[in-house]
Amino acid sequence: MNFTIRHAKSCDCEHIMRLIMELAVYENMSEQVKITSKELERDGFSNHSFFKCLVAEVPEEHQTKEGHTIVGYCLYFYTYSTWEGRVIYMEDLYVMPKFRGNGIGKAMMCRIAQIGRQSECARLQFNVLNWNKPSIEFYKSHGALDLTEKEGWHAMRFEVAAMEKLAQMTVATCATTTT
Amino acid sequence: MKYTIRHAGPQDCREIMRLIVELSVYEKLEEQVNITHKELEVDGFGENPFFKCLVAEVPEDERTKEGHTVVGYSMYYFVYSPWKGRSVCMEDLYVMPDFRGQGIGKALMCGIAKIGWDNKCTRLQFVVLDWNKPSIDFYKSHGAQNVTEKEGWQEMRIDDNAMEKLAQMAPKI
Repeated sequence: MNFTIRHAKSCDCEHIMRLIMELAVYENMSEQVKITSKELERDGFSNHSFFKCLVAEVPEEHQTKEGHTIVGYCLYFYTYSTWEGRVIYMEDLYVMPKFRGNGIGKAMMCRIAQIGRQSECARLQFNVLNWNKPSIEFYKSHGALDLTEKEGWHAMRFEVAAMEKLAQMTVATCATTTT
Repeated sequence: MKYTIRHAGPQDCREIMRLIVELSVYEKLEEQVNITHKELEVDGFGENPFFKCLVAEVPEDERTKEGHTVVGYSMYYFVYSPWKGRSVCMEDLYVMPDFRGQGIGKALMCGIAKIGWDNKCTRLQFVVLDWNKPSIDFYKSHGAQNVTEKEGWQEMRIDDNAMEKLAQMAPKI
């Protein structure tokens, strides 16, 4: 099957949001999705973007029965390692089930690796759910290391309420001056 | 003990690098440090910064015996959750052992939370080593959740040769 991988545009946000919801359903976490295509447009396609995105598109003759030609996406951004320097972070990688097995997921991941290399990144990082065996095997087959298993890294998070509490403690607990 | 939390400048890079190496020794992973203060200068304070940093500084009369007044740092950058939107990631949080117990670590972390909050972030995320009980207890005491335990997220990495191999297989855009 022919497909193209291209950089997403602002007009793709509704499609990217559709696929984000599909991935959340696959990960059994759809109730956690709180943003809409509007936040994606604001945060990815304005002067100060928080992320970039690739999309996978098929020709019209392969469109889904709902008429969609965008069948996959990969959302990424740059992070930093105080040990290795620049890192490219693959936040989501998703291909609609009917379009799997054609190399689309691998093509997007390879493109991320290439973009990372062009930007002098030493690492491509991401996370994956521990029950998601097909994805884990796919990533490991391409040389991915599981750092939670290998080195004991655990992902931690402060959600909104805890984060707000910390933010309010800033003025109270220290003298802060800005340069 | 008095201290100030401030935004780091390029002149702080040597000090930040000194503390990065100290943290890696504490994490028993010092052989993994492959950058120098020069990369920090270019990547944090150039035209296209990859990170930002807060430092904790004590007055001259409290400096270390080697003469340092920068005694802690926290590096951060903005990331994105396709479910929740803008997030801030705390890459490192470190305070020199002799300066702990004064609230400096908490002040650095709160500083990051405030910066995130002011930029409409709905999450502060980071990683911690599973054996690092003092840090885990500290974070949990402030409401942090362990999403590796709770939701099963595994941290993954592709680097060096494996990354180069993938890059060479990329399709043209």
